[in-house]
Amino acid sequence: MSESDSAPKIQTSIETGKTDSAPPETEDVVIESRSLDVYYGDEQALDDVSMEIREREVTALIGPSGCGKSTFLRCINRMNDMIDVCRVEGDVEFSGKNVYDDNVDSVALRRKIGIVFQKPNPFPKSIRDNVAYGLKIQGFDGDVDERVEESLKEAALWDEVKDQLDSSGLDLSGGQQQRLCIARAIAPDPEVVLMDEPTSALDPVAASKIEDLIDDLAGEYTVIIVTHNMQQAARISDRTAVFLTGGRLVEYDDTATIFEDPEHQRVEDYITGKFG
Amino acid sequence: MATEETPSDQLGRTTALRLQQLKGQLFEVALIAATLVGIVSLLVLFAQISNDAFRPGTASPAWFLIYLSTLVAPTAAFTLYARRRPAVRKTNAKAFAAVFGGLLLSLVTYAVVDSLSPYDVFIYAAFASLPPVLVLAYDRTTDDRTYTGPAVPVSMIVGTGVAAALYDLIRGPIGIAAEWIMYFGLVTVPAALLVAWLTASRRGRRAGSIVGGVVAAGGLVVAVAAIAAGVNASLPVVLFSAFVVPTSYVVVRSVRTNPEGRIGVAGPFILLGGVLLGASLAYEVKSPDTFLTPNLLLNSWDGLTASNAGVYPQIVGSVIIVGFMAVLAFPVGIGAAVYLEEYAPDTGWGGRLATLLEINISNLAGVPSVVYGLLGLALFRRTLGLGTGVVVSAAGTLGLLILPIVIVSTQEALRSVPDALRQGSYGMGASRWQTLREVVLPQAIPGTLTGTILALARAIGETAPLVIIAIATTTYSPPSGLFSSGTALPLQIFAASANAKPEFRHGVVPAAAVVLLVLMLLMNATAIVIRNKYGREN
Repeated sequence: MSESDSAPKIQTSIETGKTDSAPPETEDVVIESRSLDVYYGDEQALDDVSMEIREREVTALIGPSGCGKSTFLRCINRMNDMIDVCRVEGDVEFSGKNVYDDNVDSVALRRKIGIVFQKPNPFPKSIRDNVAYGLKIQGFDGDVDERVEESLKEAALWDEVKDQLDSSGLDLSGGQQQRLCIARAIAPDPEVVLMDEPTSALDPVAASKIEDLIDDLAGEYTVIIVTHNMQQAARISDRTAVFLTGGRLVEYDDTATIFEDPEHQRVEDYITGKFG
Repeated sequence: MATEETPSDQLGRTTALRLQQLKGQLFEVALIAATLVGIVSLLVLFAQISNDAFRPGTASPAWFLIYLSTLVAPTAAFTLYARRRPAVRKTNAKAFAAVFGGLLLSLVTYAVVDSLSPYDVFIYAAFASLPPVLVLAYDRTTDDRTYTGPAVPVSMIVGTGVAAALYDLIRGPIGIAAEWIMYFGLVTVPAALLVAWLTASRRGRRAGSIVGGVVAAGGLVVAVAAIAAGVNASLPVVLFSAFVVPTSYVVVRSVRTNPEGRIGVAGPFILLGGVLLGASLAYEVKSPDTFLTPNLLLNSWDGLTASNAGVYPQIVGSVIIVGFMAVLAFPVGIGAAVYLEEYAPDTGWGGRLATLLEINISNLAGVPSVVYGLLGLALFRRTLGLGTGVVVSAAGTLGLLILPIVIVSTQEALRSVPDALRQGSYGMGASRWQTLREVVLPQAIPGTLTGTILALARAIGETAPLVIIAIATTTYSPPSGLFSSGTALPLQIFAASANAKPEFRHGVVPAAAVVLLVLMLLMNATAIVIRNKYGREN
């Protein structure tokens, strides 16, 4: 628990928190997309996206509304499968295996790649059952209570809820609900955690807690986060991908480079707020 | 008008604004009138029916005074006392549910099982419930639980099939046992297990087995006492297990654990005591000449003497028909709704077919019930060759009638489950079936139950389809099986309304109508209780 729990971080200028940190030890690529095109009916949502995402880093996806960053995120664990009109071309490889191969089961894939949504969506069950949900459906046969405690601690929620594990997850505040959803996502110990604008429905204090949490999670999980908040991307991510209109990945580099010395003029315009 | 208008001059009420307001007020008055017309005409109708049924005008003032002091005054005083104490009110509601729910459950169970033969019901119940219990017991001993879930319903169906195949073999030996033993197995054993389980979950396994043993022993004691007193032990055993046991459970638990609200358990007993005390005091005074008497509830029909006419076979027939109809229609209806809502494709030819089906189902909900009668006649009598006016045909016809209602209401309930929950479950790596079972269905249960129980209430009052499939208007004993002829209460009301004697038309008919309305209200009340209970838990 750092000071930021009591006071929101309000920053007026963009600063990158990761500039002076040591380069990550591992540079293994865990997810790689190759010329990925996605269509919703006749409309193209992603256009020839190729990028590599490194293990145990926080990768931020930013860009204006409708640029395809959420679509890209949802392609990684095949949440787009459930949309009838969605069509995917190209490859997304997860540890060397194309997730769109015929012999990849989307259910099994999502057990390795968890997801946290924009609006907190805890199940109408007790806090304990919420966190244990993934364990239950995956037939986990270890000590469930211990795992629930660990996950809630990792999600920085344990101290607040340890006395009310049997009360409903819906009784928590918005920020607590979102941390509950994160605890739920990491309880089955996935490789990758996808986050789709996890703080946009929260107030600044709750959002800053989630940011701290993401920072902590990066030591153990690969985190890919879609955000509208550029300061947030600058603060918490190691690498940043900028999507611009038309579903094109315009620039993808170390966060420091993107925010301080972007290659493209349009990216600089977007980051400095000239449009978007 | 030469000076320019300032904004403050424009704040006054102009003619146009007045007109607008007048229109709004007229609209409001019209809405109030529409509401009043509906409510007042219903109230007048019900007042007339209950006046004919109860005939309060024929009672002496002393009768009113006695019941006012024994029943109305104490109940009103208790209600006023409980009004501002939520804990008392809550316990009171629980006690009411236990006492009157238990009483009703015992009487309905006894009447239905008695008419269908306790031996047959026992055989089928045992064969349908033992296999799943064994499967669940096996489930506890093994690690591989892949197949035990689906095995439960399969074992029930297989068990029932085996019972039907072996029926002739088993019926003889089972018939040697006394009748009350059947009731002991059907009601006391489940009651003992339920109480034991509830107690064990709160106070440990030992306390659970002791309480369960006490309940079972109590059932035996009641039976022995009844036999010693020379009466049939069946009804006492049922009353003990389904009325005394839940009542004492609720009373003991409330008194032990809830010091604030414990006084609330007195509520139902004040009511019951008031009725009994009033009845004993009012023995000498002139009571109303009502047809709503024990005769009406317990006798069979007598078309000549109104005071002797009863609708016991009709009530039991209605309950059996509607109960069996529920068994037929609910799995089919809920299954169809789950398929259409959760599995059917949205696009392509499959999607178009599903849309077509959905439109047709909504239309079927509005088809006149007479048409369903014709369908039932063609299907059950002509095609399947079932006997004329048998219970199965009636249950099947009414089942078809409520099927669209069940489907539509279940679909509504499933649609109201937020998509974010489904997404959350899929995102955790749950399969469609797991998402459905763990997240969607639990959320949809209250809505589904409300809709389906309202469908039951509609079915219990249906008359026209039963006339078409030639259900008898009058039988002198309740149906003895699913393939024997039975009758239903609305049919008897319909037939008696054409009786030549005025005391039938103006006495027995409204009294029987009140009985039918009470049956329907009880079902609706159950629906509300279930919905509130599940609503709170979620």
